[in-house]
Amino acid sequence: MADTICRTLRDGGLEGEHAPALTIKDSKASPFGFDVFNYVLTQLSNYILAGKSQSRGLVVVAYSRSPSFYVDLLKRRGIDIASSHDWIHILDCYTDPLGWKNWLIDKDISQEASSLSSFCQDVRNLDKLYSLIIEQGKGLIGQGKDRFSIAIDSVSEMVRHASISSVAGILSNLRSHDQVSSIFWLLHSDLHEIKFTSVLEYLSSMVASVEPFNQAAFGQRVDLENLSMLEQNFRKGKFHVRFKRRNGRVRVMCEEILVELAGIKFTPVLSEDEIINQRLLPKVSIIVLS
Amino acid sequence: MKAAQTPHKKEVPCVFGRPPQLPITKIIRLSAALLARHRRCSTPTAALSLPPRVCSLRPESLSCRLSTIYSWHFTGKTKLCSVDAAMATTKPRLSSFSRNLSAVSSSQTPGVKCGPNGTMFVSSGIADLDKILGGGFPLGSLVMVMEDAEAPHHMLLLRNFMSQGLVHGQPLLYASPSKDPRGFLGTLPSPASLKHDKSRDRESEQEKGLRIAWQYKKYMGENQPNFDSHRDNKQDYCNEFDFRKPLERHYFTRQRVNCVGIQHSKNLAALQEHCASFLAQHQRNDGSSALAGRIAIQSLCAPQCEHSNMDWEMLSFIKSLKGMVRSSNAVVVITFPPSLLSLSSTKRWQHMADTLLSVAAIPDEDKELAKLLSGYQDMVGLLNVHKVARLNTQVPLILEATTFSIKLQKRRFLVLECLNQAPVDGSSGSSYGTSGSCSGSSKAGTLDF
Repeated sequence: MADTICRTLRDGGLEGEHAPALTIKDSKASPFGFDVFNYVLTQLSNYILAGKSQSRGLVVVAYSRSPSFYVDLLKRRGIDIASSHDWIHILDCYTDPLGWKNWLIDKDISQEASSLSSFCQDVRNLDKLYSLIIEQGKGLIGQGKDRFSIAIDSVSEMVRHASISSVAGILSNLRSHDQVSSIFWLLHSDLHEIKFTSVLEYLSSMVASVEPFNQAAFGQRVDLENLSMLEQNFRKGKFHVRFKRRNGRVRVMCEEILVELAGIKFTPVLSEDEIINQRLLPKVSIIVLS
Repeated sequence: MKAAQTPHKKEVPCVFGRPPQLPITKIIRLSAALLARHRRCSTPTAALSLPPRVCSLRPESLSCRLSTIYSWHFTGKTKLCSVDAAMATTKPRLSSFSRNLSAVSSSQTPGVKCGPNGTMFVSSGIADLDKILGGGFPLGSLVMVMEDAEAPHHMLLLRNFMSQGLVHGQPLLYASPSKDPRGFLGTLPSPASLKHDKSRDRESEQEKGLRIAWQYKKYMGENQPNFDSHRDNKQDYCNEFDFRKPLERHYFTRQRVNCVGIQHSKNLAALQEHCASFLAQHQRNDGSSALAGRIAIQSLCAPQCEHSNMDWEMLSFIKSLKGMVRSSNAVVVITFPPSLLSLSSTKRWQHMADTLLSVAAIPDEDKELAKLLSGYQDMVGLLNVHKVARLNTQVPLILEATTFSIKLQKRRFLVLECLNQAPVDGSSGSSYGTSGSCSGSSKAGTLDF
């Protein structure tokens, strides 16, 4: 199912259609959103390198991790870094987001990462950020009709420096740009009001939420009885995805996730479907016409 | 006012006449005097036309007063017919508690239909929705559509609404939070070709002989379209739109189509000005058969708009828009996602609407729902009718059903259908817990009539 998400991002949008947008949301109860983000990023990078995707490049807007982290991540996953400047660019909103340390920039980033990244020193100005992202993307794909994908490290960080409407504006403008093939972002839902989460769900075509494996165990005291259940929550979780399909229907899927040192693994769930579908039955009263 | 039959003259269609600017009391006195004089003569001698403003706003009070004497028959010419005999044959609407809801004959303006209680309707662009709402969207009303964040069905409603207006040559004002609102016009559907209508009729004729009357009420309505499709007039009140065929460009380059972007404006003042100037061109005062206007505002509280967090500003905009449209020959359709508003704001917006609809997504590949509802495979979503505009009357419209399925026939034509329970599996011996005489029988075996 996570593969389904990655394939949807890989395939991109049709002509005249908004680019598919994925929201990955997690919370303190099951903080594996970043692992999922890395998984999707790695998969998409593999597709781009193999030439199987609609997009020819990837722009990573890094708010919560430095560019070096992403370079190391791609190396660990066996992705060729040497040719990376052809297809990936990292917009560094982590090192100096507010332009405070102009004179320390050169020492902070490794050489490898600095060749793939450029700085954004005013994350409050989202119009400028929008132009930077588009400029970097066009730089990767050239003048033709090719497209590029965008990954935003964390919109939770983005909204710290800008208003909800401007964040919604930049996301919706990126989605509707002709040369953007797909876009995905990470959100920590418990840091925000429900309204912001609803806004992001409204703007995206896929919503993937990471939830605790044992919902009942979360928040309780550590006891011998529930210790094993709590321990499961430290490594496992549930992954619910809602796809907004082109025909207007909503497809809901669920998987289990297991976080290990090597990465995150997704395993299908067999018995949960009925429970999910029951929750999703429309709340209408059906009057039988005889 | 309804056309009345007279002993001497044939029935003539009612139109609103040219207005003498008289106060109502004078009109009543004048009319009483004219009628008194008329009664003394055997042939009609005088005519009176009433300003549409009077007719449309207070038909009950005026008609009550006048029809205590006689019932009225309005014409554009200077002839008045005695309607004494008509009182016996027809049922004039004497009070606001009349239940005669049949549509009066059509007006001369294309795309506008006269309805009961002095209201005029324009089509929503969806024939099924017009039927559900009792004729269409009344002129002067505010229609609000609650979006579902997970489905774009409100766009289907908007597209049909806008296309219908453009096909009838009705001016359109379209406001959208997207970067290029004018680009949306390229996605409007075109009216289906006549060839399709004829083939559909032939198919339905062929099917009649083989049809088994399961849930027969579903098929009873189909007798009417067969009659309607044989009309000869060039412009239908409601066209059938083909979503696979875009609307021809000459419809929206020739007509006055104004597209407004609302994403970048600081507040709603600019949009309010656009709406005010548009509605000023469609005032109802003069009573001439002016074209009706349509305003379509998509996703009014979309999150990318700067005004989206100004709850009171948006509410006061809607209130002023409603006031402006009430006195105009226009209809306003606003869509909005209630999930992005606070609960109290949503309630207030719902109260502002004259007609309130909502669309909902349905889950995909849902076996339980497929078992429960027939026709699930063709459904793309659900439409709920929460409120229906009732102007100039106290009588509510009580619908048989308020939830309808949205289907795209052959992925081209939008239809709304009542929800029907799928046939119960006789072998299981149990229904799905819903009431209804058909599903009451739980035993398989011989059919028992």
